[in-house]
Amino acid sequence: MIEARRSIFSRLVAGAIVLSLVLLAGLWWLTHQTVSTTLQQAAQAEVDVDLAGLADIYATGGRVELEARIADRIALTPMEGGAPHYLLADDSGRVIAGDLTTWPALDPTVSESGIIAIGANSKGFARAVQLGPDLRLVVARGIDIETPVLSGIAMAFAGGGAVFIGLVALLGRFAALGLQRRIGRINLAFREPQDGAGLAATGRIDGDEIDELTAHSGAALARVNDLLAAYKDTSEQLAHEIRTPLSHLDNRLVKALAQKPDTAIAERLAEARGEIRRIVQTLESLLDIAASKANRGDRSGLVPVNLSGLVTGICELYAGSAEEAGLELRWTIAPDVIINGDERQLGRLMTNMLDNALKYVPRGGQIAITLERGPVLVVADDGPGIDPRDRARIFERFYRGRLRGEETSGSGLGLALAHAIAERHGLSLTLEERETTGLGGAVFRIAAAA
Amino acid sequence: MRILYVEDDPRSAAAVGEILGASGDVLVWEDNGSAALLRAGLEPFDVIILDRMLGDIDGLTITRRLREGGIGTPILILSALGRSSDRADGLDGGADDYLAKPFEPEELVARLRALHRRATGREHSAVILYGAFECHVKARTAFRNNRHLALSPKEFELFRYFMENAGEVVTREMLLRHVWKMDFDPQTNVVDVNIGRLRRKLEDGFDRPALETILGSGYRLLDGTP
Repeated sequence: MIEARRSIFSRLVAGAIVLSLVLLAGLWWLTHQTVSTTLQQAAQAEVDVDLAGLADIYATGGRVELEARIADRIALTPMEGGAPHYLLADDSGRVIAGDLTTWPALDPTVSESGIIAIGANSKGFARAVQLGPDLRLVVARGIDIETPVLSGIAMAFAGGGAVFIGLVALLGRFAALGLQRRIGRINLAFREPQDGAGLAATGRIDGDEIDELTAHSGAALARVNDLLAAYKDTSEQLAHEIRTPLSHLDNRLVKALAQKPDTAIAERLAEARGEIRRIVQTLESLLDIAASKANRGDRSGLVPVNLSGLVTGICELYAGSAEEAGLELRWTIAPDVIINGDERQLGRLMTNMLDNALKYVPRGGQIAITLERGPVLVVADDGPGIDPRDRARIFERFYRGRLRGEETSGSGLGLALAHAIAERHGLSLTLEERETTGLGGAVFRIAAAA
Repeated sequence: MRILYVEDDPRSAAAVGEILGASGDVLVWEDNGSAALLRAGLEPFDVIILDRMLGDIDGLTITRRLREGGIGTPILILSALGRSSDRADGLDGGADDYLAKPFEPEELVARLRALHRRATGREHSAVILYGAFECHVKARTAFRNNRHLALSPKEFELFRYFMENAGEVVTREMLLRHVWKMDFDPQTNVVDVNIGRLRRKLEDGFDRPALETILGSGYRLLDGTP
């Protein structure tokens, strides 16, 4: 199971919540602006109508009449909209009439309008006009009504938004759980391919996308299982059908040898038996390579193996043989290097590397094995090395190098099998450039694959 | 020894019959799994040899059924499937030993003897005595004529395996499997060289040889007495 933080469904739900929040905030801002503008426009319209009326009064009734009307209007409490405010002043800003005490920063000569402060805590929309020489008028409407309306809208958005986001989260979680369960079943089937056969039955091509994915996954898994079974059957039959007649042939040779033929014939018969052994080994190595390649990337069946102990044991096993071949075999092993693997196969890999080195390094040479954490296993020697033209093909089946002289023993599969075993364990077996490391001969390096 | 052999190929059966006839053992042959299961339940055998790919029930299933049925007779699987994964399948499935065809006749006989010996419990004692040799299993010490033999840990393992199979042929494959836990033959002569080193330690300062090389099959520990 994937932890919640990495699950695509948790991220989808979180994404939906964030998106909803952004949308709500945007919608709230738009509403806020619209309401605010509408209120201001209403105040502006009222101010302009009022101003036009007062200008008429001044034109017909003069300044005294105007002062009286302004006083009337201030006394009147309006039914709707903001309270009106006035200021009649001369050009020097001295107050003649009205309830505003100071001339606002509005230019009456161009009939400037704007938001001004009214008293200590209120604001209003105002327009100033020049009524006559040395007489100017400001008419304002309070827009404080905006605040309760806007805070009402904000409250509505906050409350409604909380409920909305809660619902989004709940529905998202619910839908995600359902999807998660269905996807989880597909993942489980791939993790445990042996039990995946049931998947095909639960998926439907005529359902939704996940049903279809389930069906396809089930079919693909069933095909992989069939292929693996067929592969196992075929390789078993192949081995059986070749080894059984070879076994009969070997038997005849044993019987012929038992009749004590003369030495020359006995030697030939023994050689023939040796050939039979080689055919069998080649067959086995080929099947082992195929099996390793087929299981590449499949971690099932691998258990922790103490590589340090394994490599040390094999080096000790080979020490005597190296000494008899006039070679110096040294090993430097970091303690407790553990990897998940198949102990027998890893042992095979190591012995193949040593068999290879012992075969090609001439008397008087050195072989150095180092194992470090990582794991990094290096098998280096001071032998003739690998011809540059062979480097690319050294791990291929049946490939024998140019510098290897008349040496024809062995199946030509040792390095190919080692390579396949390394890959099966998620390791890479590579040939290092001779200049970089080692003793000047071949340097093989086994390390975690990049 | 009384041996039950389950094999559907008559030629293989005849070949094994000849080998075991020559070594003086009694071989009872069954060519199918059901009959073999029946017979193994009715009659006592010292060792059972099983082929893997039979007509009706495969060898691994027979092994499992025998073990489930409480029959602990040592089982050697003799099969044309010889890869190390095949061997692991067999040994993990309850078989005691695994030999792939084609095989050396001496190898088969040696393995059967070793299985029989182990089943009769001669190897479980703390001190194994054979001729002039003493092997103290717990203390991990070895003596010849009461003289201590300075063996490395691996040499001791090797010596102990020879003591457990004293007087009998021990093959390279048996040594690789039991002493080095390897089920394949390295191309290098590692077993022979290691035996050579053990031989020197066992024989150094003594007149009589300790190990006999059996050409083409393996080694035998001699009693080392003058």
